Amino acid sequence: MIRIQNVVERPHRVELTVNGQPISAFAGESVAVALLAAGIRILRLSPRAETPRGLLCMMGTCQECIVRIDGRITQACLEPARDGLVIDLGGAQNG
Amino acid sequence: MGDYPATDPSEPVELVVIGAGPAGTAAAVAASRAGIDTLIIDEARTAGGQVYRALPPEMPVTNAAGLGPDHGVGERLRHELSASPVRAAFGHRVWHVAPGGWVRAVGPQGLKSWRAQRMIVATGTVERIMPFPGWTTPGVIGLAAATILVKAQQVLPGRAVVVAGCGPLVAAVAAAILKGGGQVAAIVDLAGPGEWLAAMPALASRPDLLARGIGWLGRIRAAGVPIFFRHTVISAEGTESVTAALLQPIDDTGRPRDGRSRRIEADAIVIGHGLVPSTDVTRLLRLDHAYVPERGGWVVIRDEVCRTSDKRVYVAGDGAGISGALAAEIEGKLGGLTAAFDLGRLDHATYEYAVTEARPTLHRARRFGNAMGRMMALRTGLLDVARTDTVVCRCEDVSRGEIEAALADGADDMNRLKSWTRCGMGPCQGRFCGAAAATLVARPAGGREAAGTWTARVPIRPVPYEAFVADYRYEDLPFFTAGH
Amino acid sequence: MTEQFDVAVIGGGLLGCTTALFLARAGKRVVVVERRKNICTQATGVNTGNLSMMWTRPYLVPYAIEGRNMWATTSDWLGVDLGFRVRGGLKLAFTEAEAVDMQRDMGEARDGYGCPIEFLDGEAARRIEPALTPAVVRAAYCPLDGYANSLQTGRAFRRVLKRENIQLRLEAAPAALDCGDAGHTLHLPGRRLHARELVVAGGAWIEEILQLFGLSYPMLCRKSQVIVTERMPATFSTVISAALGILSLKQSDNGTVLIGGGWQGLGDPVRGPGQIVPENFIGNLRLAHYAIPALKSARIVRGWLGLEARAPDQQPLLGRVPGHARAWIIGAIDTGFTLGPALAKRLSAIMLGEAEEIAAFDPGRPMPPCPVQPLPVYADEL
Repeated sequence: MIRIQNVVERPHRVELTVNGQPISAFAGESVAVALLAAGIRILRLSPRAETPRGLLCMMGTCQECIVRIDGRITQACLEPARDGLVIDLGGAQNG
Repeated sequence: MGDYPATDPSEPVELVVIGAGPAGTAAAVAASRAGIDTLIIDEARTAGGQVYRALPPEMPVTNAAGLGPDHGVGERLRHELSASPVRAAFGHRVWHVAPGGWVRAVGPQGLKSWRAQRMIVATGTVERIMPFPGWTTPGVIGLAAATILVKAQQVLPGRAVVVAGCGPLVAAVAAAILKGGGQVAAIVDLAGPGEWLAAMPALASRPDLLARGIGWLGRIRAAGVPIFFRHTVISAEGTESVTAALLQPIDDTGRPRDGRSRRIEADAIVIGHGLVPSTDVTRLLRLDHAYVPERGGWVVIRDEVCRTSDKRVYVAGDGAGISGALAAEIEGKLGGLTAAFDLGRLDHATYEYAVTEARPTLHRARRFGNAMGRMMALRTGLLDVARTDTVVCRCEDVSRGEIEAALADGADDMNRLKSWTRCGMGPCQGRFCGAAAATLVARPAGGREAAGTWTARVPIRPVPYEAFVADYRYEDLPFFTAGH
Repeated sequence: MTEQFDVAVIGGGLLGCTTALFLARAGKRVVVVERRKNICTQATGVNTGNLSMMWTRPYLVPYAIEGRNMWATTSDWLGVDLGFRVRGGLKLAFTEAEAVDMQRDMGEARDGYGCPIEFLDGEAARRIEPALTPAVVRAAYCPLDGYANSLQTGRAFRRVLKRENIQLRLEAAPAALDCGDAGHTLHLPGRRLHARELVVAGGAWIEEILQLFGLSYPMLCRKSQVIVTERMPATFSTVISAALGILSLKQSDNGTVLIGGGWQGLGDPVRGPGQIVPENFIGNLRLAHYAIPALKSARIVRGWLGLEARAPDQQPLLGRVPGHARAWIIGAIDTGFTLGPALAKRLSAIMLGEAEEIAAFDPGRPMPPCPVQPLPVYADEL
């Protein structure tokens, strides 16, 4: 379990869809964290060498955590998880 | 007369503060209390920057003892801001600035633009990680990134974490992971104990922080975490995800040397090689900069009260050179007061009194912060860890070998390297490859300054195309004023 | 110590380097003199790389086709593959009035100058390019259009200059020039070069270089913006332009989209290329989106600009420096990347006595008065 317990409460469970699969998360944590906690570490493949990439900087700088949320290119580390988000992994260069 | 057409519909404001970390927040509050019409802009949902990043409001605190003292400082800053007359544009990404006070941003309601009489730039720092084999593998996470994960998101980076790099964040993150119930497989410090001892007199100028550090060490020792001083991670193993870290002893420049290498099993490698002041905004504003490694790299030249080479622009906080969070807050306040004074809204006596009163605390804070800056200064020997096939530019998968081939062909500054290899052309805009690229370019160029920097360009961060085309008509496009 | 050369080329961009190359291959001892730290850093290295036969003025089409063919065969004459791609080009008219103008201009290019152009209605255009907006009224299509990689020109020319032992002097801006019967002496910091013939290929700095001859030759300076997106999924394949002449748009193999068309930013020959003008940045993005609506799902990563010279009558310069039998100018071409290799090769042939001069391009021709371009106010003047 990588969510730290007994410091904050996480009262609102939310359901995300990631590449068509349902993932449970908590309202307010970033989508990057929701994916990390669900064991999804590979967020995309790099454009040229197609190597797996995951979150790196957590501050919206490195662009490694690019996902599509409801069709929009989004930095997962900056986007709070909300109920019903549809997330597609694969980066900006894939549709 | 300004740089841009007078028909621009920018909203006028007396003072714009870019960045709502401790420096920016303190600056905005101070200026607004002097009666200045002030706007603060930040991409985050609320103030705090990185060091005081707020917990999500959807996750209420049940046990404040589980949070460090930084949480309280952040809450105080956020409260002071919301209690002040400062207008806040949160969720706004600044994409363009120009001398003369022009600021444009993309926000939830689309494009915004302002024209300010004065600007305070408090854009903080970004993390630096020197490339090493396997550093792009998922599970390799930045040190400052891990701080955010643990403190502001209450999540551990992994189950068995190697924490590596330089500066106070190494111990801080390791201790925070332990406190959060995680396991730290090893601590890997670039510095040797001698360097820490040598920094002691400066660290002692902040007994509160020193005590905190001692607390971290106590927790680390109690957990039996192996500490490797004067070591670095020379390789991350694992293809889809990190499985282990390979450590090697180094010399004081960061260069690996002969000695026993160690393999530490881990599912996350938290690593950071210092913090680099963000100079994107300040270079677009054509301010004077200097290259000062112990302050993080290129920094804006400024005086004690935050004035720069442009009398309309002030800089404060780590974005102007690593000085630490307390110094950032005090500098921010001074910057806000100086702007108010320069705008004629603060009498000389009051202003002088405030500057004099702040000086001793600021000096103590800076003394500590500067010592930490020195610990985090770039160790160029770390570049020796990168092999020919190690990716340097993560966005574009440009390897060290490709960079060196371009240098051999005659590229001798950053921008030529970029043209010839695509290094720096990806969406991170050269932030993550910059230090390694510059160190490589420095050799043929004849030094870091000669290597130069990526030319400052807009958009300052990648922005959605969609924001620019939300509402327009073909007939209204400025074909004939576009200068064709 | 004065170094002796047959030809000194002032300006290390595409035009200067190509002229130098062909002269050297004809046996001349050539030096390229470049004021900056490297070659091909200005317009040559920062333009979109688009090669559109429909972009250039109709009477220049034959040179555009020849230039385009040289880009297609750089492996032969330059020794480096510069990423030439054929994609076909579409020039779009969005109103009936634009369609009429386009029909006339592109008709002239086709009928008068042999450019292969087909006229299409909106539906036919969208069959070629499905991503096109339904708002296209009429289009002109040229199967020859494509692009090459302008970013790589500096590296390619560095290699070939070195390989063919063509001398290169970097960070070398002539401070003075003496012209005599035996040729020209260039005074550089710390040394002198002597060359029988000179070529002025200084791009936006032609006017400044001509002052060394004691000539006042007012020129305009264009500061055309370019914008690039992050890599996006393959969205469109043709090279797109607009009948109004202010759009250029293409998607590279790597998925990035380059947007330009001559929207003007800030810059001048004294201070160099400056920053983009936001209204023109936004206007350019909107026009591109108008043509290809799917662009809106991308992110914008960078905007920049390059400086180009333009003669007061807007025609190219290729010929002798007025009053100088053995000094030549090449520049102000306006579609300089496309035509550049062909016109530079032509200049070398003219200088070798193997080709005729082109009267229309004579720099000594009567010129209309040059409109004054005010320098924009920068911060340090306030």
